[in-house]
Amino acid sequence: MIAELIIGGLASGCLYALIAIAVVLVLQATDIPNFAQGEMAMFSTFFAFWLLRDHGLSWWLAGILGLGFAAFLGVVVQQVIIRPLLGAPTLNAVIATLGVNIALHSLAGLLWGNETNVFPSPLEGLRGFRLAGVNVAAESAVTIVVSVAMIAGFTLVLRYTRAGIALRAASQNQTVARLMGIPIHRAFAMAWAMGSVAGGVAGLLVAPVVFLDVNMMGPLLIKGFAGAVLGGLGSLGAVFVGSLLLGVTENLMGAYVSGSFGEALSFLLIIVVLIVAPQGIFGRVKKRKV
Amino acid sequence: MKAPGRTPRQALAIAGCLALLAAPALLGGYFVYLLSLIGIFSLVAIGLNLLTGYSGQISLGHSAFFAVGAYGSALLVSRVGLPFWLAIPVAGGLAALIGAVVALPALRLKNLYLAIATLGAGIVTTRLIFEWRSVTGGGAGLEVPAPQLGPWTLAAGWQMYYLILLGVAGGAWSATNLVRSRTGRALAMLRESEVAAGCLGIPVARYKVIAFGLSGFYVAIAGGLYAFLVHYINPESFNVNLSIMFLAMIVIGGLGTIAGSILGAIFYVAIPEIFRGIKDAPGLVFGLSLVVAMVLMPQGLAGLWRRLLRRD
Repeated sequence: MIAELIIGGLASGCLYALIAIAVVLVLQATDIPNFAQGEMAMFSTFFAFWLLRDHGLSWWLAGILGLGFAAFLGVVVQQVIIRPLLGAPTLNAVIATLGVNIALHSLAGLLWGNETNVFPSPLEGLRGFRLAGVNVAAESAVTIVVSVAMIAGFTLVLRYTRAGIALRAASQNQTVARLMGIPIHRAFAMAWAMGSVAGGVAGLLVAPVVFLDVNMMGPLLIKGFAGAVLGGLGSLGAVFVGSLLLGVTENLMGAYVSGSFGEALSFLLIIVVLIVAPQGIFGRVKKRKV
Repeated sequence: MKAPGRTPRQALAIAGCLALLAAPALLGGYFVYLLSLIGIFSLVAIGLNLLTGYSGQISLGHSAFFAVGAYGSALLVSRVGLPFWLAIPVAGGLAALIGAVVALPALRLKNLYLAIATLGAGIVTTRLIFEWRSVTGGGAGLEVPAPQLGPWTLAAGWQMYYLILLGVAGGAWSATNLVRSRTGRALAMLRESEVAAGCLGIPVARYKVIAFGLSGFYVAIAGGLYAFLVHYINPESFNVNLSIMFLAMIVIGGLGTIAGSILGAIFYVAIPEIFRGIKDAPGLVFGLSLVVAMVLMPQGLAGLWRRLLRRD
């Protein structure tokens, strides 16, 4: 019983982790918490669904085009909205992303309606299996595998590719990076595109499980942020572990303490963590010169 | 450039006040109701502006203060038997206390962390209201009794309207004076730079607590008035979206100005009325306005107004 709960928690933790990583990528590059991340993912998922249902594309093609659209959306938001706001107080950009959040939510409602849709799964035939005596649902296994692969891929890109190194340099110090000839806005656009794709993957993974509607990503975004904060916003690995911790805690608390309080309890936990260790569990204090 | 003359401006202000006082006699009940809503959300916006606009602290949990004010004052009247004019300030005081407690994490947190902590506090509060069924009625909502003032029952829309008008006038007046006081200047310093504020001998922690407490008080008073205006409240209406809308109001209206708070409230109430029948249109307008306000006119509607005034 407890092992199944933990597996379920790990699966939802992986979804939180994808959103959390999307947030952290953008946050580290541009210092802006992107509150539009959830709705950007929802919008991309709806785009894929629209291709799938109204244009008869196959699941995989629609999914890939959906992710391509997600990358495009990320670049557009960065270049059109965020770029003019770099250098202004962070609060302004935060509010702008909240605006994008509301606007995309309503636009999706206008374009595709507010009813819930059944998003088909490409894994219809797949059955759960037993691993060391524990029942593992197919969705959980796929979610975990895909998320881990995404995060590993992102880490490799950031560490070894030219563009990834440019992005890390631009995150560390914009002025110096610019002086070194790094096109920082292209690097930031890449961060936004990567974040948006991670969100899009989360959307494609979650839509077949919970039905597709415009409110789908709201709770996930909040959990993603919470997981990111819990992990300390430092490295992608720490954020991943923080999100998994959140997913498992939530599942266990929901089962053993109170079903309806699960969400509120995990937030209480986060507030307590923030008070005791304001930089998250694994975060190091980022010193700032005056 | 000609500064607007003092006498015409005063004349305009007096005419505006008279128009507001005469409104219930001239306009239909629905318009009076909308004006009442504008008044309530003006108080909310003033309260949030004290925190976000003046002191630079973001909050994504202000719908919780609104809920505490609404539920607190409704329950104090129906369960404890306090008269409503006492219940609303008592609920406001309670919210101020909660605000001070919320400020404790804020002492160590900034930007994203603060946004998450306030978001969490907001979600926990509405969840508590939802689950505490025996007292709050849970998801079924809560009927709010009509306010009693001595022998009179203030059930009619115009009576609540005058009450709210009084509340807004008092709130705007005290906020205007507050921001010009020692406290107000300390809060502004907090927004500009906490380090600089600390160096000038401003007790940063104390003023953050004050900012959250004051802000919570204002918003809770508005929540109490709201409960008595609409007669029925339920936890669903105090969700995260409402907190974001509150933030939208002050950003679109103008951060850090009292006039901007009121303009934002007018915008917030008017847009859904204009786009009635198209469910998602108001959201789209709000979202785009937020983005446009931030990218093109960070001073909001109040700044636009000031620029227009200066031009002639």
